[in-house]
Amino acid sequence: MAFDLTPLDLFDPSSYPTRRHEEWKYSDLSRALRDAPARADLTHMQAEAGDFGGFYWHCAGDGQLADLQAAVSRAVQSSDGRLYLDMSDIGGEGTIAGYQGEGRITLAAGEHLILLEDYSGALDYAASTVLHFDLAEGATLIRVVILDEPESAVSVRRSTVTTAPGSVFKQYVFATGAKFQRFETHVEHAGHGAQVEMHGAYLLKDTAHFDYTTRVNHAEVDGATQQLIKGLVKDRATAVFQGRIYVEKGADGTDARMRHQALMLNDGAHVRAKPELEIYADDVQCAHGNTIGALDESALFFCQSRGMPEEVARALLMQAFVVPVAEQIEDEALREMVLNWIADKTEGFYAL
Amino acid sequence: MLNIQNLTVSVDDKTILKGLNLNVPAGEVHAIMGPNGAGKSTLGYTLAGRPNYEVTQGVVDFNGEDLLDKEVHERAAAGLYLSFQYPLEIPGVPAMTFIRTALNAQRKVRGEEEMSAPEFLKTIREVAKTLKIDMDMLKRPLNVGFSGGEKKRMEVLQMALLQPKFLILDETDSGLDIDALKVVSDGVNALRAPDRGMLVITHYQRLLDHIKPDRIHILVDGRIVHSGGPELALELEAHGYDRYVNEAA
Repeated sequence: MAFDLTPLDLFDPSSYPTRRHEEWKYSDLSRALRDAPARADLTHMQAEAGDFGGFYWHCAGDGQLADLQAAVSRAVQSSDGRLYLDMSDIGGEGTIAGYQGEGRITLAAGEHLILLEDYSGALDYAASTVLHFDLAEGATLIRVVILDEPESAVSVRRSTVTTAPGSVFKQYVFATGAKFQRFETHVEHAGHGAQVEMHGAYLLKDTAHFDYTTRVNHAEVDGATQQLIKGLVKDRATAVFQGRIYVEKGADGTDARMRHQALMLNDGAHVRAKPELEIYADDVQCAHGNTIGALDESALFFCQSRGMPEEVARALLMQAFVVPVAEQIEDEALREMVLNWIADKTEGFYAL
Repeated sequence: MLNIQNLTVSVDDKTILKGLNLNVPAGEVHAIMGPNGAGKSTLGYTLAGRPNYEVTQGVVDFNGEDLLDKEVHERAAAGLYLSFQYPLEIPGVPAMTFIRTALNAQRKVRGEEEMSAPEFLKTIREVAKTLKIDMDMLKRPLNVGFSGGEKKRMEVLQMALLQPKFLILDETDSGLDIDALKVVSDGVNALRAPDRGMLVITHYQRLLDHIKPDRIHILVDGRIVHSGGPELALELEAHGYDRYVNEAA
């Protein structure tokens, strides 16, 4: 099945989607990026890893990310299946550097890969990357994504995932937003009994914009999809969650659950949520839930009455709101890394 | 220790406490009893500093300091502890993390050194054992999915660790079966000390069989209408609040 990715060429402003595109209604790229960026000098390098273990691969978006598969193969065979993918783009000062690239990762039958994708660039850049993942029978891909980009960044990160019978795909996305930041994942449930999880947490402040868009198509029987997305939005930041689960006729036994929960920490913050279920099969279990609220004032008072100053209590409760997403990461080293990252990011959050 | 004079409190423009006077000296346990809606919980929340509880008149002196002038967390650091009738669930925060954060926040306000993780662990282990609290429970988010009895035991655990100077127990007996009531009461009684005061807010005499008060005050319509010794509880149990309600009206 062909994936429905909006055509986009970073170096051709006439291709930028606008608010008139239904899929981009809440995230207007043409407003965030008026002119084409300057083509960046492309680099990629390979080195042994640091904290995370496994292999390390740096690739700024660079046309065809051709050697990616070679790095994956080495990781799968020789380092507990771990690969640290440094996707940090280094921009220009005053000029906007443009990075655009597309890569493909294939996991053969039964292969297991834990991928840490780190998008923590610097300076001014615009980037558009597409990663394609093809999972063969019984393959497992765990994908942890850190989107910690500079506030001036314009970033569109898209991926497609094709599953096969018995394959497992789990994605955990952690984002702080940017001038424009969109993380879009398209999943084709093409395998009997394939298991998909797509979770995420966002921590947005100032004028940050983050858009988490997921598209799941259940084409085969007994597929499972689980989603838990939680986020904090303060100041004038905007969060967008667009999740669609489509269950084709005949995809019986589908079990799909989607939950999105956001906390708005002040007036002026925005959350736009659009959860969708479209079901054409008869025998399915599907559910979606969406809640947007404020910090629980009673819980806040309870914490304060035990001695916590307001800012400490707020930080504790805000952190507590998003950590359940990270706690689902089974790999202990990765989980700890992400929990530390969240603690670090929520620290600056409590001052209202 | 705690001296309340002419305390008048409004919540959402409705006056709940109407010139309440109360003095609890150090080392004593006083009970507040009264019918529903008399203002018992309001008194506890006001002393703890809950937002929207507006003090329109009155003075509260706590160990020579103006309690009402302090922020919520400063009152805790000064030694005031309100045990909630319905302790809140705090999803995502392990009980142990919650208590340690609170303890160290209080110490910081008092200019004391933070308690180290190993020292804290050792202390909490000892206290948990006496309260029959499993250490695994302390790793779970505070009060989430806990039974009524477990929540109250968690409250007593916090009292024992935070070592407050003054305890306010708001309907601590609600939601407790007889066994849990005994464990919780024993925990509270263990905290009785010559330099510590307690205010026990309750509906029923039952709790006062376990936590024996020195004085009992009857609160009706925002005022203390009658005070007496422990025998007053038995009289109330036999005759109800009617007499006092009618007198107040």
